[in-house]
Amino acid sequence: MDYPLAPKPRSELLPGTLDMLILQTLSVGSMHGYGIAQHIQRLSKDVIQVEEGSLYPALQRMKLKGWLSAAWKKTPNNQRARFYTITAEGWRQLGQRISAFDQALLAITRVMRPS
Amino acid sequence: MLQGLREQWRRLRGRAGRDALDRELAEEMAWHRNRLARDLEAQGMNPDDARHAARRRFGNTTKLREEVFDMWQLGSLDQLVQDVRYGVRTLLRSPGFTLVAVLILALGIGATTAIFSAVETLLLRPLPFREPERLMNISLTAPPRYGGPARTDMVWSWPKWVTFKKAQSSYSELALYSDDRMTINTGDGEPERGRGEVISARYLATLGVRPVLGSDLPPEVDAAPKAASVALISHALWGRRFNGDSSVIGKALTIDRTRYTVIGVLPPGFSGMSGTASVWLPILARRDWVFDQAMDHEFFMVGRLREGVTPEQATTAVTVLGRQVDGAHPDDFEGGGMGATAVSLDGTRVDERVRRSVLILLGAVTFVLLIACANIANLFLVRARARHREIAVRLAMGANRGRVVRQLLTESVLLAVVGGAAGVLVAWWGVQSLAALNPSAAFGAQRLGGLGAVSLTGIRLNPAALGFAAAITVITGLLFGIIPALKATGLTLTSALKEGSIQFGQGAARRGGGALVVSEIAMAVVLLIGSGLMIRSLANRLNVNPGFEAERVLTLRLTLADGEVARDSLPGFYDLILDRLGGLPGVTATALSDCPPLAGGCNYTLIEFRDRPPLPKGTQRPLVGVHWASPRWFEAMRIPLVKGRMFTGADRLGAPKVVLVSATAAERFWPGQDPLGRPVGVGQGGFHDTVTVVGVVGDVRFGTLESVPDADVYIPYLQSPRQGMMVYLKTSGDPTAVAAGARAAVKELAPSLPMYDVRPLTDRVAEASAQARFSAVLLGLFAGMALILASLGVYGVISFVVAQRTREIGIRVALGAVRRDVLALIIRQGLVLATVGTAIGVLAALLATRLLGTLLYEVTPGDMGTYVSIVALIVVAALVASWIPARRATRIHPMEALRTE
Repeated sequence: MDYPLAPKPRSELLPGTLDMLILQTLSVGSMHGYGIAQHIQRLSKDVIQVEEGSLYPALQRMKLKGWLSAAWKKTPNNQRARFYTITAEGWRQLGQRISAFDQALLAITRVMRPS
Repeated sequence: MLQGLREQWRRLRGRAGRDALDRELAEEMAWHRNRLARDLEAQGMNPDDARHAARRRFGNTTKLREEVFDMWQLGSLDQLVQDVRYGVRTLLRSPGFTLVAVLILALGIGATTAIFSAVETLLLRPLPFREPERLMNISLTAPPRYGGPARTDMVWSWPKWVTFKKAQSSYSELALYSDDRMTINTGDGEPERGRGEVISARYLATLGVRPVLGSDLPPEVDAAPKAASVALISHALWGRRFNGDSSVIGKALTIDRTRYTVIGVLPPGFSGMSGTASVWLPILARRDWVFDQAMDHEFFMVGRLREGVTPEQATTAVTVLGRQVDGAHPDDFEGGGMGATAVSLDGTRVDERVRRSVLILLGAVTFVLLIACANIANLFLVRARARHREIAVRLAMGANRGRVVRQLLTESVLLAVVGGAAGVLVAWWGVQSLAALNPSAAFGAQRLGGLGAVSLTGIRLNPAALGFAAAITVITGLLFGIIPALKATGLTLTSALKEGSIQFGQGAARRGGGALVVSEIAMAVVLLIGSGLMIRSLANRLNVNPGFEAERVLTLRLTLADGEVARDSLPGFYDLILDRLGGLPGVTATALSDCPPLAGGCNYTLIEFRDRPPLPKGTQRPLVGVHWASPRWFEAMRIPLVKGRMFTGADRLGAPKVVLVSATAAERFWPGQDPLGRPVGVGQGGFHDTVTVVGVVGDVRFGTLESVPDADVYIPYLQSPRQGMMVYLKTSGDPTAVAAGARAAVKELAPSLPMYDVRPLTDRVAEASAQARFSAVLLGLFAGMALILASLGVYGVISFVVAQRTREIGIRVALGAVRRDVLALIIRQGLVLATVGTAIGVLAALLATRLLGTLLYEVTPGDMGTYVSIVALIVVAALVASWIPARRATRIHPMEALRTE
């Protein structure tokens, strides 16, 4: 059987990358956990599959650190779901992560593709 | 840091709804799973497969939930909550133990906190002035004179101050002050007898105090006598006499018949350096004559250090200036050699003996607290034995030792916290009693370096004392918990788990308990000996014959204002008053003197012998105490006539001037000769020309109970009238009963004459020993507590021994030991502990009691009688404490004993 969600070779995320991806995703607007996972998967063309086993602890951790806030809201088809929103502290974190990421990417590129 | 705190806070908030949190997470994940399954279904998977796939994706949701749950845990804080809950349950399970421990702790912590409050008030609390550490007390010094010691605490005269002020550069501000009693009249209402201060212009500026209303003294008040009759008043007086009305500025205030204009109101709570003032007057307005009197020494000097000058530099500079001042104002009579010195104001805040007393009390009460700790540690040790199986099981189940120790410590600290809370109540009560026990009188008998701002009445439980109580609570909890906790967990698992094993406790715990009891006894012995010495000193003081009989005498003070009655009419005026008071029912005799006995000393002056060649200039001359008395004063006070005659009503103005001398004076000035009929000159009261000695009377202690009587000279009041006198009413019954009648009689004769300081003479005598009583009573109390606690300790350990050796005793009895053998066996153990503890305690006491030093009176720190009686007391206490459990041991039935295991 060929399930689309069957285990695939996982792309290993660098530590801390998941937090950055979640923050980046939420920078678009409030989303529930399922939505976040779907969003990341879609944008990464199915390369990055967010595991629920990592997603929820990550969300809780970020909530504890004050980067996210959470509230129960109705989905468009009238179901109750917990929506996460990025906080001011979250925005600050995202900014730092992006610049650090850009630097790292540039550095890796220099090594891998020496001109 | 802040981030971490915020996170902890979110955790704390999260805790409240921790179950809700978990529920929400479960709901959220379930929803996610359903959604996933639905999407998979939409992609064509059959519903069952989709559900399974979704579940697989999630893995173990319970584990996930636990992971998140842990994330919200408070870590060590949660463990603490657990430990506290467990501790509360354990303590409640043995209420008797808990109650005894809490009581012991409450007494220990409470007493320590109360005494700390006294130390804090008297020694530690910053003086209530701006930058008090920059203030210094500057005084004159004098070489040893008249057989007395050298002085470093003498007051200044106005001219000497002016000389000093002009020459000095170490201080940015300098002020002169002295306390003063005054009759204050505000125009309406009764005249009020109160205390005030006379001050120089920059007094407030020196202390860093500003009037809350009006202005400070203008500089010209220091320029010339009577330059400006202005007054500052205290906030309290303003409220009391002027209803806090701001129109008070510019109003008149009559003080002892002189009018002053109020120019300022001082801040609430400020009562001057004397701590008792309600009115402040310029020195030169009230005592204009001091302006050019270089030998009229009566003012304290306080200075504020200039920026950048250290106290040491200032003291050096003052020493040099002191010699200049002495050179500028030579003294023909006293022989010169005066200097000056400066000490930090803080150093003069209490008398040296007071400082020593309270520090010794703090030491003593710390001992009591340590004994209490040792006692409770002992109780814990005994209990640890009962709990050793529980602890062994917990260790066997995988609890690590640190965790169990922490749990046991939590329990002991918990107990300490409850004890500490109860201790605060004890301390509150203790502080009330301290303040009541001692109005500043007990310590005020000696002059506190002019600084009366600090007194025991100011003692209260303040944040510092409460913080101290909290700190010692935690420390004691750890102190009495740590040894039992380490011991209890240090056992080997197998031996403790073996049912009926007697390995644990037998050796280790008993040795630990023994050492604790030995140290308890040693500390108790030190305290008992110390307090024994103090109590003996007190008894010696109370046995001192002060030279007069104080029973059934009421004393009161009357002071006429300047010019109210002409000087020559004063005897007539007082005769009238005495006549009137003598007619009151219950009054059997009336008398006058200027200064009561045991008041810390009266006036001193020089005596000259007119029948001997005059002493050369510059040599020291003999000094005598000089007193004014009415004819019947000696009779009312039961002071015996040794020789010659008493004063009579005929020794009046106009009659030949006569004096009486005390037995000490007769012995010192006329050894082996007859003093009667000798011509002398007395430096005060207009008796400087030739007067005749007509009698010798018994010695009276005018200074303190401890000081030997001075050479005293008595001047007949009728030949040298004074405005202010102390009136003595000898009564047939309770002297306080005639006070109201006396007040009414005086008011009728002289409505504007204030009558004050009305007290039985016995009160004044009691006051003279108040400080000694204060120390002896408290030290005795602490020693008593120590004795009880140490006895309890012996009792506890011996009871434990009996419980431990039940089987052994059973066997001994079965083998034929009789009651006496068993008693001896057990009591011997108690006596061994007592002997070792007493030996250590006696050695420690020999060293420690040296600290009592000058507080002791006519008893040496090594007083044999005290040591022997205390040792006997301890041995008896130990005997009783071990006899009770020993008796229990004799009742052990062999069969029962053998069955208990």
